[in-house]
Amino acid sequence: MEERKTLWGELKKGILDSNPLLVLMVGLCSPLAISTRVENCIFMGLAVIFVITCSNVIISLLRKFIPDQVRIPIYIVVIASFVTIVDLTLKTLPAIYERLGVWIPLIVVNCMILARAEGYASRNEVKYAAVDGLGIGLGYTMVLLVMSVIRELFGTGKIVLFDTTVIDLKVRSAPIILIMFPGAFLTFALLSALLQWYQLRRKRFKGGES
Amino acid sequence: MKKLVDLSLRLFLVCAIAALALGFVDALVKDRIEAQERKRKASAADRVLAPLGAVGEESPDLAGMLQDSFPDLISVFRGKGKGGETVGYAFVLKSKGYNFIVMAVGVDREGKVVGLDFIRNEETPGLGSKVLEDEEYISQFLGKGPERLTLRVDVDAYTSATYTSKGVTSGVNMALDMWRTIVEKGG
Repeated sequence: MEERKTLWGELKKGILDSNPLLVLMVGLCSPLAISTRVENCIFMGLAVIFVITCSNVIISLLRKFIPDQVRIPIYIVVIASFVTIVDLTLKTLPAIYERLGVWIPLIVVNCMILARAEGYASRNEVKYAAVDGLGIGLGYTMVLLVMSVIRELFGTGKIVLFDTTVIDLKVRSAPIILIMFPGAFLTFALLSALLQWYQLRRKRFKGGES
Repeated sequence: MKKLVDLSLRLFLVCAIAALALGFVDALVKDRIEAQERKRKASAADRVLAPLGAVGEESPDLAGMLQDSFPDLISVFRGKGKGGETVGYAFVLKSKGYNFIVMAVGVDREGKVVGLDFIRNEETPGLGSKVLEDEEYISQFLGKGPERLTLRVDVDAYTSATYTSKGVTSGVNMALDMWRTIVEKGG
């Protein structure tokens, strides 16, 4: 079942059809934890896009050089290097770093990135690997943003970006369950269900063709 | 055997290049990170000493004296008044709330708390984090001391954020203990 690959198709795939969070459901722990504030998610998303795109490119470039037996250690070294670069860079911005804290170093063990290295970058040309990384990264970031908007807006009653209140619902008390851990699971499950429903409906209209 | 050498060499090569790249990035940002850290601690110390009209001056010898008994201490500042005399101390320390709280506590010579400032607020956003941002709640710690404080007796706990209230209280207590040590040892 060889499908023809286009750059656009590969990009779109990461955002919708195989969205890392809502469809593949990999790398879930950081989004569940940090999606309490929109601001965090912007930086986390950028960090993930950078790491996954760069590591996909490097791994794709090295795919003929990397021996099969030690491929996983090499992937991890490459990914960890990019994560450390992001970590060091963000440390110069203490206001953001203190909130993302442990989640930046933990991008190393995010299975989403390792899965793309193993399952995609090591078998495809550089340009496809780059676009795949970008698409997956964008898909991750978009889910993060949607989740955090829902959780911050309804959980605290307002959205604060860079010390300015963007939206204020002017409520006295908001349902704090949304910014607590159960809120993460509820929001995530609802979003996932919504995407599944949409995809199914689209499939049905197209007469079974995906 | 030959295979083994080949594998090791390739793995080594990748690691060596990665290490070089990281060393390069580290050299670029190291000074900036250190400067940021120092600036944040110093400005927090100045803020908590401001009620005394004093300016913070980092004191490595006091830190050396306290470090053994208070492992959670990060740094100590002497509050220097107009004439250069010590009018109080600012302690930058780490306390355990629901997560970690890094805070600065200003204590005057009589052991009264004069200022509180939070450098790192990792508490749950919207719950614990609200405690640290609530000036009215924080202000109840001011003027307390030199006796250790007990939560719900000397100071109120914050509804729905008991752990954070505990963390703030134990941080203040740690600062009061350090003040007592300094006074006893004659700092």
